[in-house]
Amino acid sequence: MSTPARRRLMRDFKRLQEDPPTGVSGAPTDNNIMIWNAVIFGPHDTPFEDGTFKLTIEFTEEYPNKPPTVRFVSKMFHPNVYADGGICLDILQNRWSPTYDVSAILTSIQSLLSDPNPNSPANSMAAQLYKENRREYEKRVKACVEQSFVD
Amino acid sequence: MEVPRLDQPVNFHESVTSMAISALWWQLLHFKGLVQVFLSSHYFVLFPISNKFGYLKMSEEDVAVVGSSSQDDLIIQQHREIEKEISDRIQLVGLKESLETVENEYLNDEIYLKKTRDLGTKYENIRRTRPDGNCFFRAFGYAYLEYLLDKKEEYARFRELAYQSKDRLIKLNFPKFTLEDFHDVFMDVVNVVGKGPESSEELHRMFNEQGYSDYVVVYLRLIASGHLREKEDFYQNFIEGNRTVVDFCSQEVEPMYKESDHIHIIALSSALNVGVRVRYMDRGDGSETRTLRHPLPQVATDHVVIYSKLVERKLR
Repeated sequence: MSTPARRRLMRDFKRLQEDPPTGVSGAPTDNNIMIWNAVIFGPHDTPFEDGTFKLTIEFTEEYPNKPPTVRFVSKMFHPNVYADGGICLDILQNRWSPTYDVSAILTSIQSLLSDPNPNSPANSMAAQLYKENRREYEKRVKACVEQSFVD
Repeated sequence: MEVPRLDQPVNFHESVTSMAISALWWQLLHFKGLVQVFLSSHYFVLFPISNKFGYLKMSEEDVAVVGSSSQDDLIIQQHREIEKEISDRIQLVGLKESLETVENEYLNDEIYLKKTRDLGTKYENIRRTRPDGNCFFRAFGYAYLEYLLDKKEEYARFRELAYQSKDRLIKLNFPKFTLEDFHDVFMDVVNVVGKGPESSEELHRMFNEQGYSDYVVVYLRLIASGHLREKEDFYQNFIEGNRTVVDFCSQEVEPMYKESDHIHIIALSSALNVGVRVRYMDRGDGSETRTLRHPLPQVATDHVVIYSKLVERKLR
């Protein structure tokens, strides 16, 4: 059955295939268009470089009126990513706009990797190291990058 | 054709030729730092008795929980349950009802009863809209499009404006791909109105179909946001806190389910050059609702009347 959310997700998918942004990819799971798997490649010139980070995106029938739930499946060490992979990002919460599509969501998360916001930490250790001990922060991030090859 | 229920002096019909919408709304924003209150406001769209249309009532209810983390899962879950209960109970846009149905809700409330009766001398019908935070936009959209059903010239003006709005919004850097989707659906609904009065049922059906109705709301929100962004220097003066106009738009205007305040109404009515009259039901003295007209003097006609009400209940 086609609902507004499903129709829109088909559109999002089509756009993602026809006009894929650099460094991200995503697709619905085989039997459920409401659950997507996605991959974000660590941006160049950041400690996340070379990592391939997997995520799941779960939509409800209220999409695009309400944002989906996005979670990293790969282990992450980042000031704005919770231990369970949940992401603290304004556009996925109080700044959500129905004009964002999957492509916009993934590129926003990608840029969050480059520019963490240590002032609203989801991982306080990561935030603290990011501010006070960048070398140690990068070391911990690199460990995640290596882990991401194995997952 | 509806017949006035009461013989009132003509001067009650301040704008005989126009349809008026009056909206009552309130925002938690105004209560920041004050006592804890539950707020629930109701929005209505009204049509003057002299008009052959009915009233459109918007209603809006919101429960604001003050003082605890809004991220708390239990609260989120409770919100969902409340939302579901409301959406099961109240249509997105209801059928015309007599204003007496509103009177009956306030039989024990002297002030509101008096004011509702006064509205009853000016308006004949009311439509309720679902209290989901979108009620101003939904009521505005419905009331204005219904008004346009038999106004060929005004319709042509609006259709052109609606059509052109896409390019204006794209220039303001709204994402083209998704904007086009909302614009297409919005124009589908606008085009139905172009078929004239016989399409009123189709319009009503579309406004009760989430896929159309919410897309219309989204698009109207984008138009309001676009107007605020275009006139950023001016509107910056009216935004509280340290927020920029762009922040305000992305936090309070573009997201769905965010209640409307004055600034939303002014932005939308100015952007579309559509007059809005808001009838505020409040606790103030007097037997009449407070009335505000938007946009300011440039537009002489009230195309839409919205009635809005705030209920305050102390927590204990």
